[in-house]
Amino acid sequence: MKHIEKRFDAIVVGAGPAGATAAYQLAKMGYKTLLLERGRTPGSKSMFGGRVYIRPLKDIYEDFEKKAPIHRWVKKERISLVYDESATTIEYTSNKTTSFTTYLTQLSHWMANQAVEQGAILLTEIRVDRLYKEDGRYRGVVVEDEVVKSDVVIDAEGINRLLLEREGIVEKLSPDHVALGVKEVIKLEPDTINNLFGLDNNEGLSWILMGDVTDGIPGGAFIYTNRDSVSLGIVVLLGEAARRIDRHIYILVEELRNHPLLYKYFKDGRIMEYSTHLIPEDPSRLMPKKLYYDGLMIVGDAAGLLLNQGYTYRGVDFAAYSGYIAAKAYEKAHGNGGASEENLKIYQKMLEESFVMKMLRKFSSVSRLMKKERLFSTYPQLINLLASKLMHIEYDSYKLKEAFDEARKGRVGLIHIIKDLWEVSRKL
Amino acid sequence: MPLKIIVGIKWVPNTTSVNIDPKTGTLIREGIPSVVNPHDLTAVEMALKLKDRYGGTVTAISMAPPSALAGLEHVIGMGVDRGILASDRAFAGADTLATSYVLSKVIEKIGEYDLIIMGHETIDSSTAHIGAQVASWLRLPYVYYAVDIEYNEQDRSIIVRRMLENAYETYKVYLPAVVSIAMHTYEPRRVKVSNKLRAKTEDVIQVWTSKDLDIDINCAGLRGSPTVVSAIDFVPKVPRKNLVFKERDPKKAAKWLIDQLIQEGLLEL
Repeated sequence: MKHIEKRFDAIVVGAGPAGATAAYQLAKMGYKTLLLERGRTPGSKSMFGGRVYIRPLKDIYEDFEKKAPIHRWVKKERISLVYDESATTIEYTSNKTTSFTTYLTQLSHWMANQAVEQGAILLTEIRVDRLYKEDGRYRGVVVEDEVVKSDVVIDAEGINRLLLEREGIVEKLSPDHVALGVKEVIKLEPDTINNLFGLDNNEGLSWILMGDVTDGIPGGAFIYTNRDSVSLGIVVLLGEAARRIDRHIYILVEELRNHPLLYKYFKDGRIMEYSTHLIPEDPSRLMPKKLYYDGLMIVGDAAGLLLNQGYTYRGVDFAAYSGYIAAKAYEKAHGNGGASEENLKIYQKMLEESFVMKMLRKFSSVSRLMKKERLFSTYPQLINLLASKLMHIEYDSYKLKEAFDEARKGRVGLIHIIKDLWEVSRKL
Repeated sequence: MPLKIIVGIKWVPNTTSVNIDPKTGTLIREGIPSVVNPHDLTAVEMALKLKDRYGGTVTAISMAPPSALAGLEHVIGMGVDRGILASDRAFAGADTLATSYVLSKVIEKIGEYDLIIMGHETIDSSTAHIGAQVASWLRLPYVYYAVDIEYNEQDRSIIVRRMLENAYETYKVYLPAVVSIAMHTYEPRRVKVSNKLRAKTEDVIQVWTSKDLDIDINCAGLRGSPTVVSAIDFVPKVPRKNLVFKERDPKKAAKWLIDQLIQEGLLEL
């Protein structure tokens, strides 16, 4: 094992939003920082649906909204319940916006460049094989037969936590604790996108679909408009998907693209990209017992810090903010004499006090809702049947109550509906 | 005496993701990530193997816009000692003649060298000109399709094995010389973290402009390029019938396929 002479204050493993942000903040505070990325470019192993909530990022990066690679500001939000070939949709439009669409590779790249501008060293195509320990403390990383040493290591390796598994800090992922995102990016001209979705330039659409879009597997579908492309995909619980699908998973997205309701949007597009990625689904199961060890902090997806709010995910802002807090915590630990376990405890404390953990606690039972089949099959059906009774008028017209009773007849009891409504309104 | 090796690399758009604009016939490079020409990585690997075996230095050279620095960093990551990027607006629009001219001037300026190694060809233009042209600018012997090189220190020569369709040829060549390595001969090694750190933190890459080189500017770039691509014709699309057998029984499928072929007059029983 060859020990590399150059020593760093901090080594950050993984240049996704969490790692790149940690490196940016560390370098900005003057720490000698090494950012290591397995892929060819920062973010090339990351994936998301398509939307980022901006507020926390503005705390971290100066003039974020002016400098970052923002495609469109989300000003149109749609949620559709789909049954067969019909959909009932709620649409919310406002000039006020708190989120934007982008490509995660571009955003991660931008974040990593900010880190480099602040003096961090970014090395790509470097796969860290394991964390390096000296006298029981984490003091660097091992890459093949070489050791790079540092005062602290920040683990931002993402959801597939091979390093942490190796250390016995986390267990192997269980299919029931993660969801699978499968996505296509379809190239379309900006004007075409504007016309199809009723948007102005720079205006974006976020569209969530539930019901008959995931082959009956609990989950949902999403559509986000980028500048000159549209991201569309599905999110399904991995365990359920594995049990129920005996075909290749990409077929689910293909069926979504060719869905009678959606086909018209994508028929002239060209598929640019296909990707799949795991998504932390159940933070209570995924989060390591603690996020700090002697010389080590865990951030982003690796720490399970992703919020499933039911109708939206918050991943990028949570990841970036945890990286930011880890950097701040290191500054405090450094001031107190070094990155010992005792001194890094502050990371967990700062995280607990931030919106990150507060929101994760608040929405902790959403993942249980995800397992409630009725929400993904019965209710979309019920609502579309109700709508069809009210809207498809021939000779006789229906009153609301009449239509409702007929729609739910034999499907779900009133008591169940009330109980479910109550549960959803409490958990979401 | 250890070997002083120069290896040429080209920074190319990743052609696996490049499309051609059907109207203009040019490559659509927008948004396409560039890579080091894979066949050049084979050349780098050969150079590093020689360095491992006989000692010496490996210098990578390239003519490209500044973004190619990332490519030089990559090969330094593999173990190349230093990189030189010839980069100047005056070099833009070059065909292979003008490119090989600038590269040969870079090599002349480096001065001390024993062996120049090039890749088989590039994935974005596939001319395989540069090795031969550099050799002629520098009036050096040239061996193409090489798969192995052995160095004889005593008389400063190399034994080069060259691959032909059905045979190998072996040459003894006195140094200095130019050798192009047959594609896929060697798997390029992975980058090392220590080497990559060196690329980032030590001054191992130099950028040379036309001012740094003893160059006739009329021989470089667009002005020095006699090649003209006058037109690109697309291969006409042949309309094809498309039938799919949808059942699962392989016996039925075979029968169905044969019946179809007979119907089309492609098969007689």
